[in-house]
Amino acid sequence: MTPTGQPRVFLVDDHELIRTGIRSELTGSVDIVGEADEVDVAIEMIIERTPDVVLLDVHMPGGGGLTVLRAVSEKCPDVRFLALSVSDASEDVISVIRAGARGYVTKNISGPDLLDAIYRVAAGDAVFSPRLAGFVLDAFSLEGRNLEPGDVDPDLDLLTPRERQVLRLIARGYSYRDIGTELAISTKTVESHVSSVLRKLQLSNRHQLSHWASERHLY
Amino acid sequence: MAIETPPRAVIGTPYRPLRRGVKNAILGGVCGGLAIRLGVNERTVRIIFSLLALVSGVGLLLYMLLWLTLPRASEAQSIAHRLLGRRRELHRVLFGLILVVAFIIVLDRLGIPSLGIYTWPFLLSLAGVIGVWRGATPDEHRHLEELVRSAPLIRIPTSPSKKNLLFRVLLGTVLVLFGLRTLSRLHGYWGGTTPVLFGTIILILGVLILLAPWWLATLNELSGERRARVRVEERANVAAHLHDSVLQTLTLIERAAGDEGAVVRLARNQERELRQWLFDPEHVVTDDEAGTYSSQLHTLEGEIENDYGVKVELVIVGDCAANPDVLALVAAGREAAINAARWSGATLVSIFAEVETNAVSLFVRDRGQGFDVDAIPHDRQGIALSIRQRMARHGGTTSLKSTIGVGTEVQLSLPRTP
Repeated sequence: MTPTGQPRVFLVDDHELIRTGIRSELTGSVDIVGEADEVDVAIEMIIERTPDVVLLDVHMPGGGGLTVLRAVSEKCPDVRFLALSVSDASEDVISVIRAGARGYVTKNISGPDLLDAIYRVAAGDAVFSPRLAGFVLDAFSLEGRNLEPGDVDPDLDLLTPRERQVLRLIARGYSYRDIGTELAISTKTVESHVSSVLRKLQLSNRHQLSHWASERHLY
Repeated sequence: MAIETPPRAVIGTPYRPLRRGVKNAILGGVCGGLAIRLGVNERTVRIIFSLLALVSGVGLLLYMLLWLTLPRASEAQSIAHRLLGRRRELHRVLFGLILVVAFIIVLDRLGIPSLGIYTWPFLLSLAGVIGVWRGATPDEHRHLEELVRSAPLIRIPTSPSKKNLLFRVLLGTVLVLFGLRTLSRLHGYWGGTTPVLFGTIILILGVLILLAPWWLATLNELSGERRARVRVEERANVAAHLHDSVLQTLTLIERAAGDEGAVVRLARNQERELRQWLFDPEHVVTDDEAGTYSSQLHTLEGEIENDYGVKVELVIVGDCAANPDVLALVAAGREAAINAARWSGATLVSIFAEVETNAVSLFVRDRGQGFDVDAIPHDRQGIALSIRQRMARHGGTTSLKSTIGVGTEVQLSLPRTP
């Protein structure tokens, strides 16, 4: 964080236009410490400048966002990643989350929502777009999956009813504050539910998740 | 070729099915696979097979038999299984077998001795080779082609110089002649069958050296040509799609440059369509089918975005067939979404659809101005009523929540019998 409490943000995207757009939306509200349009350059600069949050384009030539994520996480585990993508392909989303990103938003997100997401990620919380919430509900659904009773680790492979509720509300377009009001719990509690879902998403070995991940050569 | 020593089987290790090896394969991986299954050194297995092949040809036959009937470690079906499933390939292999038999008979008639006790194993193995070549998976084909290519003298010359060609022709001819001569010596110094086998091998080697480069080159050209054709077709498809959709839209945007609303609408429409084409090809909606719940919703998303200029965020979990009840649910959802787009003042309408074991639900939400549910103006009551009635007719429920300044959500649910 800067002395004024603004998160230090780094932009990684190979499209000049997108970077310009994001920069103009964020200037003044966060401290943009650098940007890169190539995987190698990005890795080097992020490790050198250790920003609070990296806005990471998932699809980039030269290995894509996943390469940056993995290389940086190894050296600087404190740098947090918010994945930014135009793609709705579920395997992409699940892959970056499983590689360690704290959140995923689509590029047509509005300026204030993006800012909100950055602050959340900087604070160590998770950010789920409605689509990501939908994917998670789908992947963790109880029916129709190859689940064998012995294979299920209830701590990692199942969502609690409350987490399910929270995800449904996110998918319905509710903000964290709206969810708190709806369920009569504090925003902080909502955040902790979402963080717990994120953890399950990253660690669970559910068939579909590991399938998606292995298709992208995560293992 | 790097050969990895297979892990030795010890008592208590889990049962390993007998499969042909992939990593430790020289020819078909039979010896490697056997070694892993039996837990012995693969070199031992190879030596045993070679000895068996020399002594009576049985080793050769056994090897071919296993090659044909054992599936590769990475594959589900054996070559024989695949061949039997394909009538045409089977015919080809049988045809090859008949040719080989005919060749031997002709040799016999011409007074050139047959191969003695080697005859039948050798013959059947040749047919087996044809079978392997026809029935192998592309992956195994690649392995075999690599093998043939890496053999000295047979591989395609990188620089087809005259000297190279001359050497090849000379060597090939000499080998062919020498092979024929050995074969023709009915009662040679060594007597019996050894010179016959020896001669045959040399003859085959000679022919291979003479003809292999041309054969391989033709093979290469053919597959290269096929690949190029596929690429061209693919490119044509992409070009056609880009032309029909993206290029058209860009032209329309240029023309509508003055009208902001129209530009946004066109761009969104194109974005949605392209996104679907790229990432979700199964869900491409065709006009003439009721299809599924999700395909109906995708259509709805498009209509709302097009006709009302708002962004729709659609999230779907699960899917089911679009029966009349589900169609009614979607129709009710459409009215709710149109309401939100028209009256709420929000630029984004969130639609969440979920299919569970015993319910199909649809949520339409906006973060617009909201209204007082108890004091609905007359013109909006009509629509709210029609949604309610429609849902009730199909056994579903409707619930409406709205807060001034926060937004509105319409919740629709339909019971479902799985």
